[in-house]
Amino acid sequence: MNCPIENRNSAMLVAHAAGELDPLAARVLEQHLAGCEACRSVAAEQIAMWKALDAWEAPPVSPDFDRRLYRRIGEGAPLSWWERLARPFRAIPLRQALPLTATAGLLLMAGLLLQHPGSYAPAPAPHSQAVRADQVESTLDDLDLLRQFGTANSAESVHNDAM
Amino acid sequence: MEPGVNTDMGAAAATLDYDAELMLRVKEGDGTSFGVLLEKHRASVIHFVYRLVQEQAVAEELAQEVFLRVYRSRSSYEPTAKFKTWLFRIATHLALNWLRDEKHERGQERLDEVSGDLPVRQVCDRRPSVEQELVYQVKLEEVRRAVAALPEKQRAAVLMHKYEEMEYAQIAKVLGCSESAVKSLLFRAYETLRARLAHMETT
Repeated sequence: MNCPIENRNSAMLVAHAAGELDPLAARVLEQHLAGCEACRSVAAEQIAMWKALDAWEAPPVSPDFDRRLYRRIGEGAPLSWWERLARPFRAIPLRQALPLTATAGLLLMAGLLLQHPGSYAPAPAPHSQAVRADQVESTLDDLDLLRQFGTANSAESVHNDAM
Repeated sequence: MEPGVNTDMGAAAATLDYDAELMLRVKEGDGTSFGVLLEKHRASVIHFVYRLVQEQAVAEELAQEVFLRVYRSRSSYEPTAKFKTWLFRIATHLALNWLRDEKHERGQERLDEVSGDLPVRQVCDRRPSVEQELVYQVKLEEVRRAVAALPEKQRAAVLMHKYEEMEYAQIAKVLGCSESAVKSLLFRAYETLRARLAHMETT
């Protein structure tokens, strides 16, 4: 066979080190190596280097690799209008979301009240003044009666004591 | 998609490989086929990118991007090459771009750093002694540095050839060059690596 080194065909020596040569080609090359010091040296170095590369193991893949990937795929999928609206709030836990919603509701109500205070004031009752005057009159009459009743009672008790 | 086109593509995929056929099913909306492809190629893509960029977190992030791109481009997928070739083309493109950006940002200082990503040995017949573990770590660091010192294309070619057992023609398609260019890349890369690593087995 032609010398791989002389023909700058180290692919054969690389394939030999990797165990990729078919049995016939491997036998022919080994016969050549037995008589060619230069090729034998390169072949030995290639095998040594190959074994050194074998020692380089990659670290194991993270167990959540697929989950992270599918989440990213999901994030890229087209969303409905509701999902798009709710997306910024998805990270907020329910326990925090409820007070936040209540506060937002109160603020909204307060804003509306401040903007239109008249429209939310209780409507004045048309007969309230008349009713109130009648009530005052009647109350004064009652007080007068009570006073008279009290005076009469005290006069009677003085008279009884004197007797 | 028109049924005629679909049949043609299915026939083309059948002549290529089963993965391309799975990808065509993904194109038709079959999410399970994407899961099968992910299961089959997840580790090899991550390990390939890891050996290129030499940072596990970055490797996983880039691998996520690879599979995300595969999924997002499903509608325009055409089985013109082996699926693995297409996959590694995306992976190589992303990883080399990251390396170029990183190089601009940090220069060569990374090579002098002690990395926190040194992998723990996964397979061993018995528990190694502290001394054996130290020897292994020193050896590993030397291998990592030797590979990292290779020019980008040589590095990618070596990693695909050595660890992914890809053929010259496939590597050529991934790197977008001729088969003879790949042979030349590998010849030079292995020459450099022999000079730096061949002593390791004899010492």
